[in-house]
Amino acid sequence: MQREVGSLPLAPALRARLVAAGFQTAQDLLETGPCGLSKEIGISKEEALEVLQVVRQECHGDAARTAGASDATRKCTALELLEEEQAQGFIITFCSALDNILGGGVQLTKITEICGAPGVGKTQLCMQLAVDVQIPECFGGVAGEAVFIDTEGSFMVDRVVDIATACVQHCQLIAEAHQEEDHLKALETFSLESILSHIYYFRCRDYIELLAQVYLLPDFLSEHSKVRLVVVDGIAFPFRHDFEDLSLRTRLLNGLAQQLIIIANDHKAAVVLTNQMTTRIGQSQSTLVPALGESWGHAATVRLIFHWDNSQRLATLYKSPSQKEATIPYHITSHGFRDVQPPAVTQNAEDTEMNPRKRPRREEEK
Amino acid sequence: MVVLRAGLCPGLSEEMIQLLRASGIRTVVDFVSSDLEDVAQKCSLSYKALVAVRRVLLAQFSAFPTNGADLYEELKSSTAILPTGSPSLDQLLDSGLYTGEMMELMGAPGSGKTQVCLGIAASVSLGLKQHVLFLDSTGGFTASRLYQMLQAQAQAEEEQASSPGALQRIQVVRVFNIYEMLSALQELRDRLSQQVVSSTGPLKMVVIDSVSAVIYPLLGGKQSEGLAIMMQLARELKALAREFSLAVVVTNQVTRDSSTGALKPALGRSWSFVPSTRVLLESKEVTWEKATTQRVASLAKSPRQPTGIQVELDIG
Repeated sequence: MQREVGSLPLAPALRARLVAAGFQTAQDLLETGPCGLSKEIGISKEEALEVLQVVRQECHGDAARTAGASDATRKCTALELLEEEQAQGFIITFCSALDNILGGGVQLTKITEICGAPGVGKTQLCMQLAVDVQIPECFGGVAGEAVFIDTEGSFMVDRVVDIATACVQHCQLIAEAHQEEDHLKALETFSLESILSHIYYFRCRDYIELLAQVYLLPDFLSEHSKVRLVVVDGIAFPFRHDFEDLSLRTRLLNGLAQQLIIIANDHKAAVVLTNQMTTRIGQSQSTLVPALGESWGHAATVRLIFHWDNSQRLATLYKSPSQKEATIPYHITSHGFRDVQPPAVTQNAEDTEMNPRKRPRREEEK
Repeated sequence: MVVLRAGLCPGLSEEMIQLLRASGIRTVVDFVSSDLEDVAQKCSLSYKALVAVRRVLLAQFSAFPTNGADLYEELKSSTAILPTGSPSLDQLLDSGLYTGEMMELMGAPGSGKTQVCLGIAASVSLGLKQHVLFLDSTGGFTASRLYQMLQAQAQAEEEQASSPGALQRIQVVRVFNIYEMLSALQELRDRLSQQVVSSTGPLKMVVIDSVSAVIYPLLGGKQSEGLAIMMQLARELKALAREFSLAVVVTNQVTRDSSTGALKPALGRSWSFVPSTRVLLESKEVTWEKATTQRVASLAKSPRQPTGIQVELDIG
């Protein structure tokens, strides 16, 4: 394999020395052998052996890929991806208008970013999603677990208890109305205790802890393979103050974003981040824009901006690869994140038993 | 910079190489640029033999000049112009994407770069029935949106149900760091040079969305390896485009200029020399409160057209 030495994942100083000694392709390195290599460059035999191991791994990886074995890589045709996507579930938010503009709910394998002014409901939505990801499949959920990484300390367990109780009640009403076998069986395992025990909570106090947590997450996720949601509540908070070197901040954030995309992709999980807002002062007016700068805007695949319009909360889908931009109103009730109740209530007899603000029955969406 | 080895050319023997190495000549470049009389004296080798070796090495390793007429003929026969599927964008690019060249799309988040890339991939795959390689480093590739676009295009051109076939011609590779991207490109090069026709078919286009996502974590600060890797990637892409007559489309981010506050393309001045054409995508509205599907594309750099031309695109 004629891989150039410059493109191999080695330490930069080592790479520079290899290029200066005249090695051009990986083949040259393999032919020289560890003793010759250590003599030519002036490194120890162990280091030379390590270098050759890396080179051999890369070359074997290339050979395997050309031969057609593609399980290690992430290569497929668009048709296969389409089939995969259509079979994938969404994490519903219990607010049908928001689910509609998102195309069904929060998508797995993508990073969704929620930006908003303080108090508009970002943490509420995160807690709602941490409960909703656990809804069993027969009720239309993905039956997964959740990882909640908190940097601001705004995670209130009592609030999660309220949301979870409302969710369990909702599923119970559906099961009672339809009386199907799998519904009742699923309800046995779907209770308040099980919901709370499947939310894995991490508290990170500064950016170093956050980075460490994200880089250690793949190991955690391979042990807990049912995790389908990773929430980082407050990704802006540790990075916004005490950072003199802005280019370091950009680099760290971009590295973090790439790591999160890898996690989302490999473990088929949805990653949800919350961001703060900052003011951009223009010539004539100042606008509220998401914090952390322009380059961070490219990190998230889907961007939602929550804002106020007098006293109504609105959600705008600002960036999405597959959906159009749209704005919808929403409410935060004691049961959690919900739709705004339409003024003319046209209900049929079944709906009057349930809280009209809750979603219609999920079987229709299947 | 090729290391001198025995058997590289007829006159070069192992003892000669040892003697040359002892006096500090290790690579072809060192040999060819050194004063042969000096070398003959220091290493006690015959001057004639050294001159003969030098002649052979020069013939083997130097680049051959071609004249302009031959180059023009070759380009006329090997370059193809691929329509992008959007007439206004074609107008901006002087009738389409030229193979052998790199085109860069830059824009703020949400400006529509991924949408335009999907549209181009759909058009090449459906309209021209050519294979497309899509390297996705942001996780933004949504197959259902691509399918939607293919349906819309197939309806517009009244083609029969060939969308699944078109989807199969687009190969997607997810690469999330720079080394994975380089190995994916290396693998592409190996496949193309071995001419394995069955799975790849006639590959005409490579789309990379986005190139700045993988390079950004390495740039800046005191590290200089970021620039080296970036240039390595640039060289690989341009070599692939030129050797195998591919059209390369990359997307780039924009950053804010710290002094003037204007938006400028990311990856700095070194990268600005790499693509031959640069298109900036902007939304027509300034704030995010008013949603629209209209975008404005302006030409920032082009070898053929005057810069500053603007067209309107609809990415709905």
